[in-house]
Amino acid sequence: MIRLKWWQWLTVFILAYVILAGFLIPLKPGIYSYTPQRVKGGQVIIIDIHTYNTRLLSSTDHSAYLKYEDYHLSADGIDIHSANHLAARFNIPGVLPEDSKSIRASIIINNPVDGYFLYPDALFIEGSELSPTIPGPRWEKGDMPALSKNNAFRFPYRHILYETIRNTFFHVAIWMAMFLILIVSLFYSFKYLTAGDLVYDQLSSSYTGVAIVYGTIGLATGSLWAKYTWGTFWTSDIKLNMTAVAMLIYIAYWVLRASIKAVDSRARISAVYNIFAFAALIPLVFVVPRLTDSLHPGNGGNPALGGEDLDNTLRAVFYPAIAGLALLGHWMAHLTFRMKRIREKIESAN
Amino acid sequence: MKPYYLILFWSFFILPQWVFAQAESHDFLRNTGKIYVVVGVVLILFLGIIIYLVRLERKIRKIENLLNNE
Repeated sequence: MIRLKWWQWLTVFILAYVILAGFLIPLKPGIYSYTPQRVKGGQVIIIDIHTYNTRLLSSTDHSAYLKYEDYHLSADGIDIHSANHLAARFNIPGVLPEDSKSIRASIIINNPVDGYFLYPDALFIEGSELSPTIPGPRWEKGDMPALSKNNAFRFPYRHILYETIRNTFFHVAIWMAMFLILIVSLFYSFKYLTAGDLVYDQLSSSYTGVAIVYGTIGLATGSLWAKYTWGTFWTSDIKLNMTAVAMLIYIAYWVLRASIKAVDSRARISAVYNIFAFAALIPLVFVVPRLTDSLHPGNGGNPALGGEDLDNTLRAVFYPAIAGLALLGHWMAHLTFRMKRIREKIESAN
Repeated sequence: MKPYYLILFWSFFILPQWVFAQAESHDFLRNTGKIYVVVGVVLILFLGIIIYLVRLERKIRKIENLLNNE
């Protein structure tokens, strides 16, 4: 039997949970695509809709709606082609709600098995010259008919993101874990400056080493994620560039350490540098991106991690992911620390 | 070649190719709700930790050499 400390077992257990839950819990049902994208009012149109993670064939009681602010329009007929494919027929009036020239209506699909799901601000509808006196379907104002809800434990379905919402547990969590590890490193830097024991310098530099590895992983994973959501590996997004600057500051820490041969002055200078680097990191990563536009959540007027970006189902995996990765980082840093300790003992004995 | 090298070889080169061959789409990573982007992210994470361990391994080997030279 491998002899591990309790927190090491905890690390293994948490990370296994994060990987299993993070990959196996399915997404909520959603609308993947719809055609046509834009229509003119005053005619009957059939919208061809591809859905995601739905079981349309398991239910017979389907309904579909177009919704614009307080108004909604029910579908006249629905054809189910497969579990993830349907066509809805709408008789769209020429006159739009509140005499608008054009609107963007959300598409809502509802059935007892999947619950309701929607594509927000989807269909572009232009009004037509048909006079309002012509009898026909009208947009109904007021409450929608009751929609079914499916409360199964599933991750939110978001457009463009789709399954990559799971990267919250890996890309976002590794940044949070990096901050926790840097706080530990900062603590030991202070401890070195007050106590002057070389052990604290070895601890501090070990944690910073892991934090740099985590930061590099964070940038690389973010780059891959950006390619498939924002279109390029590296955007000129403020948060990316500021984080890259912060990472360079920490890499300079490593260069600085390597350049000083005297043990005591190396420890003292790098402790001071580490404190300044952390003081620079916080405004670079948390403050500056909030002042301008950014693609990241929580920056430049984007809502912070919250609401539908981080609902309770995501939290149930996201928080353990932070804890697991932070513990793993602690483990890695501790191995390096023990190596440094042994190396120091052997070198001083020689 | 020792058997565990063979297993490593399989898991790193043959397996992904076999998985990729299953996908008929032109853009593999955009398939099935972009799930392979998540797989890629986890692989990068794994690789980063492995690189850290390899560097640590090298440093420890240096210490072992120091001990053996005494």
